[in-house]
Amino acid sequence: MDWQYLSSNSALIWSKLVEHLYLSITPILIALVLSLLIGLFSVSFPKVYPAVLALSSTFYTVPSIALFVMLPGIIQTNILSPLNVIVALSIYSVSLLVRNVVDGLRETSADVRQSALSMGYGGIRQLWEVDLPIAMPLIFAGLRVATVANISMVSVGALVGIGGLGELMADGFRRNYLTPLLVGLVLSVVLALTADLVIVTLQRWLTPWAKFARQA
Amino acid sequence: MLFDDPWGSPVIEFENVTKRFDDGAPAVDGLSLVAPDGEITVFVGPSGCGKTTSLRMINRTIPVTSGTISVDGQDIATTDAVQLRRKIGYVIQHAGLFPHRTVVDNIATVPHLLGWDKKKSRSVALELLERVGLEAGMAKRYPAQLSGGQQQRVGVARALAADPPMLLMDEPFSAVDPIVRAQLQDEFLRLQQELGKTIAFVTHDIDEAIKLGDKVAVMQAGGTLAQFASPAELLSRPANDFVAEFIGRDRGYRRLSFVAADGLVVSERSTVSTDASADDVRRAAGDAQHVLVLDSDRRPAGWLAVDGGTDASTAAMLDIGTTFTSSQSLRTALDGALASPTGEAVCVDDDGRFVGVIDHIQIAKYASTEGARQVPT
Repeated sequence: MDWQYLSSNSALIWSKLVEHLYLSITPILIALVLSLLIGLFSVSFPKVYPAVLALSSTFYTVPSIALFVMLPGIIQTNILSPLNVIVALSIYSVSLLVRNVVDGLRETSADVRQSALSMGYGGIRQLWEVDLPIAMPLIFAGLRVATVANISMVSVGALVGIGGLGELMADGFRRNYLTPLLVGLVLSVVLALTADLVIVTLQRWLTPWAKFARQA
Repeated sequence: MLFDDPWGSPVIEFENVTKRFDDGAPAVDGLSLVAPDGEITVFVGPSGCGKTTSLRMINRTIPVTSGTISVDGQDIATTDAVQLRRKIGYVIQHAGLFPHRTVVDNIATVPHLLGWDKKKSRSVALELLERVGLEAGMAKRYPAQLSGGQQQRVGVARALAADPPMLLMDEPFSAVDPIVRAQLQDEFLRLQQELGKTIAFVTHDIDEAIKLGDKVAVMQAGGTLAQFASPAELLSRPANDFVAEFIGRDRGYRRLSFVAADGLVVSERSTVSTDASADDVRRAAGDAQHVLVLDSDRRPAGWLAVDGGTDASTAAMLDIGTTFTSSQSLRTALDGALASPTGEAVCVDDDGRFVGVIDHIQIAKYASTEGARQVPT
């Protein structure tokens, strides 16, 4: 471990960390919006859901490196554009999240549904005030998995030249120099743990009821 | 329009109402009945008899296939379904509370939907919480932190929050244990005495129907109405074999709940006071084996066996069991007689003072002759 490396490359390390965060979190936000839309659509038209599920599972089986390489050809981007990583990870995240969104929206029990309807709920208002809040714990569970998965997959992007902390690892590997490799590795683990902690905290704050409902 | 006016407690009328599901089989077939205003009408029957469907057609969460349901003469099909529902309190088995909302927010659901001021909704919700027998400390809890019985109480409070003129209750007490159920039923009756809402109540439990209903609609497979009558009439004159069997074997005994004891002729009996000596007891008893001991206010204190040879102050007295007043039912009187060591029920006045005794044979005789005529129709 070469401590000198840390101090002389702190700016580089910091910028790779920020880049890593940007490349992994942006797809999560995009995917959250998309999966909510696809999920709502699937719940409203249950007949399309099996097709949605099949499609998303298929996407998920494509290796990430293959997707990184193929995407520029498909969406006409520069091979070195960060957009490739963002689009690829958005697709993976949607594949993961759609299932949780749909399961979450179906979480509302028949009794709750019937009493909501009988009190004069319905349509968008029921979705917003009843179904979506009840879906939150499952959506958050999906967000945690997708976020941690993205943070680890962004590193793979280093193999096509866009990789945040992955570039530090690739650099260390190429030069047979352990320090950058370790720095990249430790920071991406720390990043994943921190992101997970942030999401869990957010979830506890937004769904204070969930910990009781689990016991019941 | 009717819905803008404050409603009293309305009459709900079914006129030849039929509901067919997609496969063509009728869930409810030609149902006609009038649920009187301010009273509890119970729909009872085995599963699949269409009782829940009947209830849900009232708030239009299930559409009728043919026929009309009207509220105070207005066909509900001509009303706005959402507005209608907010005028009808709804209580369901397992309560169906929103798991993500606190107790107080659950209760305030309909006020919230009606756009009431937040403060007003909250204060109404807190008041109702107390009214259904829950502590104010429960307000901030979530449904999952409550017992089944407590959830059901919150469910009733939620249904009452916007002070609707009507309530629909679908097996509201079925999912709790028998002791809690009896408590909830008693409190529900007490509450209804104060509120006087028009209530449609669904249950599969005939005992619950007889206990709670002012009117009972017995429904049978195929969604037809087998009988619509008061509980007393149902017990004394079941319309057909199905109703008789559904009510069960001990209907003769249960019917006594609906016959007043005021027609019973009680007789004198030798009594002693609590300071009587063993000799006094023997003298008062004459040929009888037991004497009735009264306290200084002439309230029955217990039965004393003469052959025990003890005075009335000792602890050898036998429990007096159930006493009855003339305003109570024959069932209470008969229960008192059956539980008494002498076969006699002790009648007291409203202050608990001794009036007389009557034995179980005379009560049974009265029940089968005079009592049978008393049954209201």
